[in-house]
Amino acid sequence: MEPAHKKAGDKPGFAEYDYSNFYYGAGDDPLNLLTPFARWYREAVPNGYYLYQEALESAPTTHVRVRNGKTKESQDLLNLASYNYLGISYRPEVKRAAAEAIEKYGLGASGSPILSGTFEIHQKFADELAQFKGKEACIIFPTGYSANVGFISALMRSGDTIFLDQYSHASIVDGAILAKSKTVFFRHNNPMDLERKMSRVRGKKLVVVEGVYSMDGDICALPEVLEVTKRHGARMLIDEAHSTFLFGPNGRGVAEHFGLDKDVDFHLGTFSKSLGGQGGFVCGTRELIDYVVAFSRSRFFSCNLSPVVTAGLRAALQIAREEPELRAKLWSNVAFLRRRFEEEGVDIGKSNSQVMPVMVNNDAKVFAVAEKIQDRGLFLNPVTYPAVPKHRSRLRISVSAAHTEEDLETAVGIIADVLREEGICR
Amino acid sequence: MSLTRYGYHNAINGFFEFPTENARRILPRGMEPVEVHHGSSVLAVTVFFFHESEVGEYGEVVYAVLVPPFVEDERLPKGAFFPWQVATTTRAAREHAIERWHLPHWMDDVEVDFEPGDGGRALTARVKAEGSPALEMTITDHSWQEVSHLYQSFQQDDDGKYMCNILFEGEKSEHEEETGRIQLYDHPFNKDIEISEVFEQPFREMWMREGHQLFDPLRQL
Repeated sequence: MEPAHKKAGDKPGFAEYDYSNFYYGAGDDPLNLLTPFARWYREAVPNGYYLYQEALESAPTTHVRVRNGKTKESQDLLNLASYNYLGISYRPEVKRAAAEAIEKYGLGASGSPILSGTFEIHQKFADELAQFKGKEACIIFPTGYSANVGFISALMRSGDTIFLDQYSHASIVDGAILAKSKTVFFRHNNPMDLERKMSRVRGKKLVVVEGVYSMDGDICALPEVLEVTKRHGARMLIDEAHSTFLFGPNGRGVAEHFGLDKDVDFHLGTFSKSLGGQGGFVCGTRELIDYVVAFSRSRFFSCNLSPVVTAGLRAALQIAREEPELRAKLWSNVAFLRRRFEEEGVDIGKSNSQVMPVMVNNDAKVFAVAEKIQDRGLFLNPVTYPAVPKHRSRLRISVSAAHTEEDLETAVGIIADVLREEGICR
Repeated sequence: MSLTRYGYHNAINGFFEFPTENARRILPRGMEPVEVHHGSSVLAVTVFFFHESEVGEYGEVVYAVLVPPFVEDERLPKGAFFPWQVATTTRAAREHAIERWHLPHWMDDVEVDFEPGDGGRALTARVKAEGSPALEMTITDHSWQEVSHLYQSFQQDDDGKYMCNILFEGEKSEHEEETGRIQLYDHPFNKDIEISEVFEQPFREMWMREGHQLFDPLRQL
């Protein structure tokens, strides 16, 4: 009789597996997993994985030209996939500043920020950013990922404890791993669970939260989580990757939105989301920043952020500060889209920000839905397990201030039609 | 090659996060737990009621740690387990599993009861050992599909290390809606688990019904 594991039967399709099935392989050769992975991937690509890493052939504005991963043909699509929340990255002032910088400095920094890679433009930008955030000082990292990894591992040590929301971004988790501290996850946005877990721990403690959670678009329950944090004598880091330049009276972020800007110890953010650029930062006291400069390995063992990008970011920051109407337009767009989705019966989960998950909740169907949506002219990315829990697959929308109501109405029409055809909304 | 078949009307399984430190205390040297995220491994609790086996009807409870599968054949395993405690409702089932599969056992009969709830959309298993409650687990349903899924089980005892391919076939519901629940009682049955550190809600729930397990012969590693 044929062995059970070779039994032909009804073998599972590609959707029964995902990247998490290929973390570990048998034997002593690290390459042993390549062949089984390649076999699975060959089936996964034409069935929907081609929708990942599709190449853009134009600027990430509200409309983009995309090279279709399946047909290899160019498509002009309405874009609700790129961050660029304020629609700044392609503004003429920003492009002009970057062009002037490339004339002056050439392409890159050509060195580590602690050696030869710091230019006067980096220092000016850090000072302007600290002023914008209302803090003494600021340190700039080449990416948002390296900001979390570098800051957390600079501050925390073996024997300390880091408490992370279970929906934490990979860069926060990786920072905790590199710190070699004990890591304790608490239930998403659940201060009672944090309380239960903190009450058992002594020693140095850091709690890390995000202003807006990137896969669900919900805002941190900051007042409640901060109260528990402070009561247990811990410090708090808030990652405002998706909330800096958007929330609060001055656009400083969710901490400012709740009036808790001065109560949160460490403020981290990125330039790739609202400003559509690249890089990350941490703001705090001068003493803190001097310490982090000395101990953040992810920064001082990397080349500094390009002065070209930095010049563009300075111009983008100036626009974000001087044009609060961009934030007003973004929130008006968010309100419009929320209302229209509600009218159409489209489930956007618990989102209360510019990040909106269109919940498909069906791992087998999400790629078919995404394919239809793209074929009808809308650029959106599917998100599946393990990035989100099983059966909570979705399409993630990033709303921009640059979208018009007509753009958003077109998007709602396409999404609602496809979801109805697939039996996913009423 | 002879396969061993076990038929069941219902089997429920929950994946629970628990500390990797706890998982490492359970696993033999050289075996790594699969981590859900840094510092957090998977306690898999499964309760079966077999109506078809070489040793008649019986109930079974399995505590296992999720470990990496042995990827070698064309057919990819869905996952792999290191069961470190298996308890059955009959002596015959216990002796069979020790002799055939080298599975580590709780050496007394346990009581296993299933109770449907929520109009048939939930199933609760209650397990008593030495006459007192040891475990209560509720699993809820989602969408049902006919499946044929390959899993692997790793065992180790004084005689050696073993591996077995197990094919699960039948109706299956699997989801991560966090609607199930577990209660682990302060009981010698649970002595290897830091109960207060186990998430009481499973992050993944599986319910298998009207199905069977097909075991390949045991392989010594």
